[in-house]
Amino acid sequence: MQRKDAAITVPKPNLKREIVRHKDVYLLLLIPFVFYIVFKYVPIFNAQIAFKDFRARDGVIGSAWIGFQNFQDFFNSFYFWELLRNTLFYSFGKIIISLPVSIILSIAIYECTHYALRKTVQTLAYLPHFLSWVIMYGVLFALLSPSSGILNDIIKLFGGTPIDFLSSVKAFPWVVLLSDAWKEMGWSAIIFIAALMNIDVSLFEAAMVEGANSWQRVRYITLPSIKPVIVTVLLLKIGTILDAGFNQMYMLYSPQVYSVADIIDTWVYRQGLLNFQFGLATAVGLFKGIIGMLLVLVSNRLVSKFSEGSSLF
Amino acid sequence: MAEATAKKKERVHLKPKMHNSTVRPTRADKVFQIVVDVFMVLMLIIILIPLWSTVTLSFRPNTYIGTYLEGMFLAPWDWSFDAYKALLGNNGFLMAFTNSLKILVGGVFCALILTIPLAYVMSVKSLPGRKILTTIVLIPYVFDVGMIPAYLLVQNIGLMDHLAAVFLPGAISTYNVIIMRQFFDGIPAELKESARIDGCSEVQILMRIVMPLSKAIVMTIGLYYGVSFWNNFFNAMLYIQDSNLNPLPILLRNILMAAGMNEYVEVSAFGNAPIEAIKAASVFMSAIPMVIAYPFIQKYFTKGTMVGAVKG
Repeated sequence: MQRKDAAITVPKPNLKREIVRHKDVYLLLLIPFVFYIVFKYVPIFNAQIAFKDFRARDGVIGSAWIGFQNFQDFFNSFYFWELLRNTLFYSFGKIIISLPVSIILSIAIYECTHYALRKTVQTLAYLPHFLSWVIMYGVLFALLSPSSGILNDIIKLFGGTPIDFLSSVKAFPWVVLLSDAWKEMGWSAIIFIAALMNIDVSLFEAAMVEGANSWQRVRYITLPSIKPVIVTVLLLKIGTILDAGFNQMYMLYSPQVYSVADIIDTWVYRQGLLNFQFGLATAVGLFKGIIGMLLVLVSNRLVSKFSEGSSLF
Repeated sequence: MAEATAKKKERVHLKPKMHNSTVRPTRADKVFQIVVDVFMVLMLIIILIPLWSTVTLSFRPNTYIGTYLEGMFLAPWDWSFDAYKALLGNNGFLMAFTNSLKILVGGVFCALILTIPLAYVMSVKSLPGRKILTTIVLIPYVFDVGMIPAYLLVQNIGLMDHLAAVFLPGAISTYNVIIMRQFFDGIPAELKESARIDGCSEVQILMRIVMPLSKAIVMTIGLYYGVSFWNNFFNAMLYIQDSNLNPLPILLRNILMAAGMNEYVEVSAFGNAPIEAIKAASVFMSAIPMVIAYPFIQKYFTKGTMVGAVKG
């Protein structure tokens, strides 16, 4: 096909002629491209204020350069380690809890033989992914509120003292990790279900003839079959390890639990947009962006090495 | 042939039925099946309790006395619609709902009109400069500079206090562009080529050949955008100060955060439903467009999410 086309139009592809031939393609690109530059590249240009003493009056370009002062201020502040610790804690915690949960859920959905039960669980499990964290906060409040939440009703029923889950330093991290697992487990299971449906059923049949029971088939056929997908998902998650979930944290946290709840993004938000320390906040955002970029590039490289065709780009 | 039967079975069971019936299930197999079923029921309960408790809370009458736990078993004939009546009769709520609808419709329209051509052009293989274009598109996706530089941009181009400020910054999601391009890449080149030989321009090829084949992906991506705009409260919080322009998530947050209703508006504005019921009802009302649209689009998103996700 390619050869035929070349034979009809040009013997040797001529760049100028090729560009002219595609002029309406470029026209089609024009508006999205300009939009892309404005909304994606101007912010990168604006990020220069990380190296400046930003004053709104002087603007992005007019503010004075101060080198790495903002970065130094951040690295030397005692917040730095706390923010990094909390961010990594929540990122890894979410992986450790929700990865096994979504794998087990996907296997249960795959193995379930009751059509109605399977369909109901599938439909309901995907739903919370579409609810915002504002809505989730409302749902959690009805569940966890110290005065009136259902969980505390149960605790009281057994004679315990009610716990204020959202402002207790001990309970808060669990609320964050478990509510995230509840919200996203169905959605994360989709990719594993897709992988399970690709398993060749004759493998199961052969194992059955050899005398393997259901447990052994899961252990020796199902899990090894979806291992590449599990590794891919894990690697892609590690690529975004510095995103610990701004929306969730912003809705759930309060000053009482800042010590265990403040992650890089929430801190950037408060310093930048509430305390107007634009330069400092941008420096932290930039720091996170650069580390994040390295992680994404490395994990993506590993993914494309590990399983052909699964990487994003 | 075997594949076709497997596909048919898949509607009922995800795991294809095994053809070998000579091996009888052992005790371990039966236990396994029971464990799976019990686990599924347990999952159902875990997913349902928080949702159900919010729904029943919203229907709680003002006269109700009893714990929240007991409230979950409140009989439907004792339900009160006061909270919903109060919300639907409240101007602030209706205004926020309208604003959110405007953001949803305007946002999805702009997002699709920008994303589709960009993804399509990226899939035109013969285009000179396609590699450079791909790189330009990917750099901001990999390198995220955070919220402050984006905030300065919106401020500088005068979008503050416009509803468009909520959706324009997210109107091209690179991730969605990549998914859509993967789909376009899969459309046979012969189709486009023959149209080109017949003298169709690229715009005509996109409109007449590619679009009719891409309904599922456009629905999926439209849904992704729709969900993100409807749920977005962060942009609204940053860029909208005028309370008349507040979308639903902001109003919902204000209602939920208010310890007493009168912190937010006078109690009388919401009639005589209990405050907790108003909170739960506004949670439910905010979720309702998602819940209604959800069954219709479910088949599209499972398909769309799997695009390029798994191979073997």
